[in-house]
Amino acid sequence: MDHYDVLVVGSGIGGMESAIKLGDMGYKVLLVEKEGSVGGRVILLSKVFPTLDCASCITTPKMAATIHHPNITAMTYSEVMGIRRGGDGRFRASVRQKARYVDESACTGCQLCESACTVAVPDQFNADLIARRAAYIPFPQAVPKKAVIERAGTSPCIDNCPAGIKAHGYVSLIRSGKYEEAFQLVLDATPLVGSLGRACYAPCESGCTRGELEGPLPIRRLKRFVADRHYREMEGPGVTPAQPNGKRVAIVGSGPAGLTAAWQLARNGYEVKIFEAAEEPGGFLRYAIPAYRLPQDVVEQDIANVTALGVQIATNSPVSDLGALRRDGFDAVLLATGTPLSSGLGIPGEQLQGVVGGLDFLRGVRHGRAPDLHGRRVVVVGGGNVAMDAARTARRLGAETLVAYRRGREEMPAHQAESDDAAAEGVEFRFLAAPIAVVGDSAGRVQGLRCQRMELGQPDASGRRRPTPVPGSEFMLPCDEVIAAIGMLPDTASFEAALPIAADRSVKVDPHTLQSEIPYIFAAGDVVTGPTDIARAVGQGRRAAHMIDRWLTNRPLTGFHALDDRLAAVDTAEVLGRQRRYTRHDPLVADVQHAALPRDFAEIEPPMREDEALQGAGACLDCGVCSECGQCVAACPPSAIDLSMRERTFDAEVGAVVVSTGYKLFAADLKPEYGFGKYPNVITAMQMDRLIAPTRPFNTILRPGDGKVPERIAYVMCTGSRDKTVGNPLCSKICCMYSTKQNQLIMGTLPLADVTVHYMDVRAAGKRYEEFYQQAKDMGASYIKGRVAKITETENGNLILRYEDIENGGEIAEAEYDLVVLAVGVQPNRDPERLFLDEPLGLDDYYYVAEPNEDLNPGKTSIPGVFVAGAASGTKDIVDTILHAGAAVAQVAAHLEQENRTKKVPV
Amino acid sequence: MNGRRIGVFVCHCGGNISDYVDVAKVREAVRDEPDVVVAETTIFACADATQQDMVQAIRDQRLDGLVVASCSPKLHTFTFRGVAKRAGMNPYLYTQVNIREQDSWAHTDDPAGATEKAIQLVRAGIARTRLSLPLDPIEVETTPKTMVIGAGITGLRAAIGLADIGLGVYLIEREPQLGGWVARFGAMYPHQRKGWELVDQLAAQVRRRPLITVFTSAELTAKSGSFGNYRTEVRINREVPETIQLDVGSIVVSTGFETYEPAVGEYGYGIDGVLTLPEFKALLDSSKGELSYNGRKVSTVAYIYCVGSRQPDGNAYCSRYCCAATVHASLEVARLSAGVQQYHLYRDIRTYGKYELMYTESRERGSVYMKFPEEAPPAVARGADGRLTVTTRDLLTEGAELTIPADLVVLVTGMVPRKNETLMGVLKLPVGSDGFFNEIHPKLRPVETVVDGVLIAGTCQGPKNSSESVASGLAAVTQSAAILKKGVAELDPLVATVDAGACEWCGRCEETCPYAAVSRAHSDGRDVAQIDPAVCKGCGGCAPLCPEGAIDLRGYTDAQIRAMIDRLVEVSTA
Repeated sequence: MDHYDVLVVGSGIGGMESAIKLGDMGYKVLLVEKEGSVGGRVILLSKVFPTLDCASCITTPKMAATIHHPNITAMTYSEVMGIRRGGDGRFRASVRQKARYVDESACTGCQLCESACTVAVPDQFNADLIARRAAYIPFPQAVPKKAVIERAGTSPCIDNCPAGIKAHGYVSLIRSGKYEEAFQLVLDATPLVGSLGRACYAPCESGCTRGELEGPLPIRRLKRFVADRHYREMEGPGVTPAQPNGKRVAIVGSGPAGLTAAWQLARNGYEVKIFEAAEEPGGFLRYAIPAYRLPQDVVEQDIANVTALGVQIATNSPVSDLGALRRDGFDAVLLATGTPLSSGLGIPGEQLQGVVGGLDFLRGVRHGRAPDLHGRRVVVVGGGNVAMDAARTARRLGAETLVAYRRGREEMPAHQAESDDAAAEGVEFRFLAAPIAVVGDSAGRVQGLRCQRMELGQPDASGRRRPTPVPGSEFMLPCDEVIAAIGMLPDTASFEAALPIAADRSVKVDPHTLQSEIPYIFAAGDVVTGPTDIARAVGQGRRAAHMIDRWLTNRPLTGFHALDDRLAAVDTAEVLGRQRRYTRHDPLVADVQHAALPRDFAEIEPPMREDEALQGAGACLDCGVCSECGQCVAACPPSAIDLSMRERTFDAEVGAVVVSTGYKLFAADLKPEYGFGKYPNVITAMQMDRLIAPTRPFNTILRPGDGKVPERIAYVMCTGSRDKTVGNPLCSKICCMYSTKQNQLIMGTLPLADVTVHYMDVRAAGKRYEEFYQQAKDMGASYIKGRVAKITETENGNLILRYEDIENGGEIAEAEYDLVVLAVGVQPNRDPERLFLDEPLGLDDYYYVAEPNEDLNPGKTSIPGVFVAGAASGTKDIVDTILHAGAAVAQVAAHLEQENRTKKVPV
Repeated sequence: MNGRRIGVFVCHCGGNISDYVDVAKVREAVRDEPDVVVAETTIFACADATQQDMVQAIRDQRLDGLVVASCSPKLHTFTFRGVAKRAGMNPYLYTQVNIREQDSWAHTDDPAGATEKAIQLVRAGIARTRLSLPLDPIEVETTPKTMVIGAGITGLRAAIGLADIGLGVYLIEREPQLGGWVARFGAMYPHQRKGWELVDQLAAQVRRRPLITVFTSAELTAKSGSFGNYRTEVRINREVPETIQLDVGSIVVSTGFETYEPAVGEYGYGIDGVLTLPEFKALLDSSKGELSYNGRKVSTVAYIYCVGSRQPDGNAYCSRYCCAATVHASLEVARLSAGVQQYHLYRDIRTYGKYELMYTESRERGSVYMKFPEEAPPAVARGADGRLTVTTRDLLTEGAELTIPADLVVLVTGMVPRKNETLMGVLKLPVGSDGFFNEIHPKLRPVETVVDGVLIAGTCQGPKNSSESVASGLAAVTQSAAILKKGVAELDPLVATVDAGACEWCGRCEETCPYAAVSRAHSDGRDVAQIDPAVCKGCGGCAPLCPEGAIDLRGYTDAQIRAMIDRLVEVSTA
């Protein structure tokens, strides 16, 4: 545990003053600041009253002095989680050092990460007037000047993806026009960019936070957009594999799992050979998914990514002897043969001519052995995706098609879009119909399917309601063909001698490492999990490649967290909660025209246009803030960015605590009659301070609505202060003076502008404050006594203030202004309440830290050894904060000396 | 030191400089100056990242001279000396060139001229730096004792605070008893504790602390020495006055305030029943039952605010404490006798922060507030019936002219600086336009003064209420401890030195020195001037007076000044 004399919480002007003075006295100080820089709010101000000193100029020396002081350990981007009292009267503080995702010792503050970052969020250091990046340095004078990558968690789209594809990342790259970078980001996970862009069931979209609003982003089609663009414009994948490492891996099966594993291993320098039993590679991509959903050339483009890295694919090469591969010199073998077998119906008549398995039917069609079904009646048995693919394929071959399913529509395992599309293409459905026999004619040909009506009972193990037969409800579905699409199975019979095989015929492996009992044999994909989908198979392939790589490089296969830098998923409620200005984005739906009787296997879904892609990607809410697009990592010259960094918690023992957590500003939208957040030209005084600061976001004072330089500016004093309606009857004290300061600065910058202050009392109470106020009046600022009742907006963005003109007869009057500045008041920062875990820190009636003996011991709190400095105990301007911090420090020192004396003299 | 290696950094100061001075042009113009090996521009020279860059440049380029052209040396001399020190370079090889206050801000109408001036100033700074010599700070041991002057609430609390940190205290009070103003007050806001109880409590604590020595009826009459080691003389006004010598490291001045005394006739002052706020407060605090004046029950009180404050031709300043004090007094009246009618005639009610609650409560308890126009203050008169009347215009009721009969009229008077010629003569502290002692920086260094080690606390610096005064007293404790707790202090070595061989002792230097740093000494059988480096402030006043040219000022030697002038002249004629 680290030992310090004093813990100072918060590094605004009060915290810095406390820390420096305690350090000067020789005490060891731990200073903890939650933002990425010390300095608090003062460093963000334009100038200070009444001296009009530049706030930066007087604050930066203090910031530098704080960070370089030999007796101060300053920890930025850190939070005090809790403080407990030890038995010896000292305190134990638990401090969380948040992950910056940047190695502070390597970062040079060059800001290239900021330029590369594809995520923009409101810049809290510019009072939300402009945006900053998720990779950012708080402000130009930040101390330390080190970048932070802001990560609120992993975005739900990424978290939902079983393949671990950085959906948020490629969405934000597309939004930035970085299409090739987006393609490369997907390629980092899998070579199957085009296939996933078409045939993935897009769990990312089900997780999308926009889904809770207007509808999710078209994330899958965005992926297709970058794939189409890449394959159209680029030659090859654009990836250079690592130097060959001399190791060889054999992969059995060239479906999504096998291809993905081959890609990952080949990139890492492995020599990879794929053995494929069929005459062409691709597995389910090629044989099971119909071409109208996934055209063959797209599959071939994806596979070409893999072969471009030198992976050999041997087709017509079924493998039954895994040991032989080992003997042939392969260091590891990956089994990824999927589920190529159709389950049988298990009813009489199954052997009749005209009964075919769903997969066999689809495979035949894609092999060019499509039967002519014109005028034929086809019944497809089953409710899954294969059943839908089979039914829609049968329609294309001319058949009248009916899907018979033993449960209801709600229980169908097929994706809603698939069954909807099938229905749109004229496929009929018969629900609650269970086949009990296939009926044939004397020639052994199918005549019909005998079924039984079912009703739904209690939910079964799968959570779906169990169908039970209705007695005496048998009926006949006359038909010429029966397609049995009720399930798929792995084909593992030939491995039974060598490997443990489960009852469902899947290969038994460790679910985490994917390693079998025979160390050099790994298995991945549907052959392990049973039938899933492409994204899951890709995820398995990635994991297998990762594990094989670790195993072949003698690294442990356990004891690490994830295969990537994922954090816990961000809470969508939190995402929605932080949207301050929400813009409606209607979901972008592909213009798909379904023919009632489709005639060919041409791809149905049209490609996405660039404008659609930008529009679609533009709706992203940046849930996790950082999109994990990886651009900063690539841009950082000293390679200082490390997304695998995690927060660190440590304990410190301290003799005393100074709470200098400052204050909050009143949230102006809580006075809806003033229109803040609704009328763009109503701003807060903090925003005005930014507009006139040396590091201002624009080069002049302009109104946010249209960029016009304002000529008539109004100040609305006491916004959120002296106001019971918002629960704050207190005066905020600083607003009169900061407004007076701003008035003078505005009149200096815009000599022709009129400034009018609508006030209740001008509280210029302090040394030279009254003179400063008189100076503003002499410069031409007008003052009107009376609270503003309401603000309305005119068509051109001007604002009409309705107020009582008390000093001129008390008339109700209206006046028009270009820009209205709300002099927002001070609110307590509630953070200190949760700091002390043993005994509550005493607060006053308004939730400021209480000073029970303010008259003689200002800065002393209800807890012995705990002191408060600055506005945490109530509103204070800078000089009062300095004095208050001085008072607190004197008592901290007295407390520590007392402690020392007690220690030295044993009682 | 020939063949110097000098680094020059020219600052944008955000836009403060670069909006008017072409900073890149300045760099280009000075990069080929002799001995300049680094010339850079920077957005904020003072930013920590830039400081790191400078440290790096000093180390990498083995610099032995540093010039930063930015703002006033008052702001950042110590910042960049610190940079030099961190980089391992002697801090006194650094020169600050002011191209902001003395250039960009002064010539906003002439960017070309401002740029040319900046170039000349930077060239002169480089010329000075070429002749700079490494210097070491003068280290002096400090006396771990502080003198606190004035034993009002501020001084008492400060004395206790100092003793609790382990510093010795001499508490000097001019009056025979401790406590100042607060000792006379009853209930105070916002805590309702009585002033005399607070003072009694503090006085008891003072007595319990052996580190504190109290001198009442005592005045500071002389001070010599320097920061860390002041030698003072204190006169104790007993029957037989006595003067003692006290050695201290620092001095906290907490001499308090006087109250504004209205002229006779000012708002009716002088008429019976017209009281100042302190007079009214005394009446209130001594009231046992219902409020009465001269034996008559008081049923109506009118308060007139800002008497003697915020006056264009009088005290321009706001006295800060009086609004809240008056509102609090009116609440006390309401507690004492519920039926009293109270009228507050004000300009702005300045019950800032949490004191707003008292203002609200006072209105809820029936006090009536009326705002009078600045240009038409209320008039107080005694009517034919013997009752006082106050005539005023109330802006809150459409400017109606009202006449209020009152039993008492309270003139809400503020604080004025205490007259204390002796002390001001001894301490040589500057005062502001308001007559209160001036701090060194009104925002960040409110208790420090231009005299190192002499601190100001409480109302001698400006109007404050009691708890604010206590806070500033404790802030002065902190400042004292920050400089004395280490036991040693470092003083700037930029002091005058005498070439004893050249000195002919004429005494002019001793006469002119405002700090009594020069004395006559004997060297090789001759009288020569001797300068105490711990006392010398480096003002340079003596150097040009020396007829023999025997005095030089370290850091600003004649050679350096001449080189700067030469460079300035050379450019302007070119």
